[in-house]
Amino acid sequence: MLLDRTFDCNTRAVAAAGLERVDARSVEEFLYREARLLDERSFDEWLGLWSVEGRYWIPRHHGQENPFEQVSLCYEDAMLRETRVRRLRSDRNWSQQPVTRSVRLVGNILVDGSDASGRVIVRSCVQYTEHRLEQRQLAGEVFHKLEPDGSGGWRIYLKQVNLVSCDGVQSILEVFL
Amino acid sequence: MISNDELASLVRPDSVHKRVYTDPHIFELEMERIYGRAWVYVGHESQVPEPGDYHTTRLGDQDVVLVRAQNGAVHVLYNRCPHKGAKLVPEGDGCAGKFFRCPYHAWTFKLDGSHLSAPLRGGFEGTRYDPADPDFSMRRLARVDSYRGFVFASQAPQGPDLREFLGGAATSIDNLCDRSPIGEVEVAGGVFKVLQQSNWKVFYENLHDTMHARVTHESSFVAARQEAAVLGEMPFELLIQDGNGEPYAFWEKLELRAYAYGHGYMEGIFDPSAATRDPASREHFECLSAAYGEERARAIFGMNRHNTILYGSGSPHNVFQQFRVIRPLAVNRTLVEIQVFRCKDAPQAVWDRALTYANLVNSPSSNVMPDDIEVYRRCQEGNLTRGGEWVSLHRYLGTDKILPDGAVSVNGTSELPMRNQFAAWRAYMLDDKTPTIANQKSSECLHAS
Repeated sequence: MLLDRTFDCNTRAVAAAGLERVDARSVEEFLYREARLLDERSFDEWLGLWSVEGRYWIPRHHGQENPFEQVSLCYEDAMLRETRVRRLRSDRNWSQQPVTRSVRLVGNILVDGSDASGRVIVRSCVQYTEHRLEQRQLAGEVFHKLEPDGSGGWRIYLKQVNLVSCDGVQSILEVFL
Repeated sequence: MISNDELASLVRPDSVHKRVYTDPHIFELEMERIYGRAWVYVGHESQVPEPGDYHTTRLGDQDVVLVRAQNGAVHVLYNRCPHKGAKLVPEGDGCAGKFFRCPYHAWTFKLDGSHLSAPLRGGFEGTRYDPADPDFSMRRLARVDSYRGFVFASQAPQGPDLREFLGGAATSIDNLCDRSPIGEVEVAGGVFKVLQQSNWKVFYENLHDTMHARVTHESSFVAARQEAAVLGEMPFELLIQDGNGEPYAFWEKLELRAYAYGHGYMEGIFDPSAATRDPASREHFECLSAAYGEERARAIFGMNRHNTILYGSGSPHNVFQQFRVIRPLAVNRTLVEIQVFRCKDAPQAVWDRALTYANLVNSPSSNVMPDDIEVYRRCQEGNLTRGGEWVSLHRYLGTDKILPDGAVSVNGTSELPMRNQFAAWRAYMLDDKTPTIANQKSSECLHAS
């Protein structure tokens, strides 16, 4: 269920425990790789980075606590992420003629701690530039909550993008940030 | 100056000249003759719950402030200090406190706009400065009225009252409110603000354009269908993206209702209870039955409408409790503010559905709205070419059934709503002598030669 209130979208670290075992370099590489997949529009591979219950969230408000009581620019589970990818690929997607080209500059990556279930909370910043008919610049802080994927890598439980312009007037936002 | 004869020549019974979408001089006239007269939705009373609370918005080309006074009344004022003209409050929502205080020279005003004080009053001695003179107060809009918490204002001192103006379209607001067991709604969860690079009228026309759905939205409804096929079910989140893909035969059977002043509604396209995961409908029905009795609850649920149009204000949606407020910014720029409402005391699932609909269908980051915004922009740009002069409104012309208070389509793909909107547009635009609006009939254009 999309609006399942038990989903833990809190990005404030409740513990630092276990952080000594987190390889910061592997977290950084994971975030860089994720950004590159989106830059390259390799959406299928990007979908594969997520845990089954993972949520992609772009709040509408600064300091928004959760996606349940207020509108969000995006709040998507696996089903909705897949649907968005299907649409992005459609030949009949008039607003992807031409397609949106984008690059992301990811920086200031810091592991903040872990959540109540031991997931690693990572805070980074993103500078996002896209071009479709005209150029647009977006920026924000990003929280990732990551789970070990069982083979030394990571899976995304939550990706929360806090845009500096989240409460402003928006144009179409069609691709994932 | 564009003469009335010239304006009249732009609207034919079956077509309009593209200048109505592209000429900045016509846009200026619209601000005066339509937005200067019509009742325009300013905001909902729940946006200013406490005394001093204000909400700013735009009424035509005017910056206005909706404010709650100490006695609980709501006022709509131009956002201008009478001293130097500075806007008294910044854009957005906030609380002015017990009075407005200008950030420039500290002139103060009561929450109804009347003059309170100016510093060092001795400096005005022997001048015509007079706190009782309206020239020294914030100016109120000529008329303000509220319908079930929805506050409207008119810049014209005369004209139809709000109830008469809303006509049959008021039933959509009633139904939106009646979906609460206590008959009250509130704006909740914040609003989306979306910029469309197109003329405001394009959006109004599209709201009841049943022929565009399966063409414009092919990418989103096909994506939702493919996803549902993989899942083996059609949850609510996909159902609301899938609806646009109904075959032409479905749209032909829908009812399009047109009222005076350009208003109207379109019959519902989604049956929320058809979703394989829709916990809301049953729970909601039981809640309303307990409050109103089963018969009335059934009647409330039976009013399944899609977009309603209040021409000049925007589009309330009773089934999913929202209001898309349409604010023209320039001849080729339109701001749409999407308000979502919570039905007070209704089950949480009703709110969840309204929130999901707003996020997934009408947000700028949804799969559905980009389809529309793209084609509106293409219309705006295409109409700047020398490729032709007229925009066609021919579909099912002359077949619509005329009613005492408007008209109803016989075929649901009729372009009746557009013809009705331009009948209103024409009446507003040609009546430049008096501040009142001619009580135009939607049949006016239907049987003209």
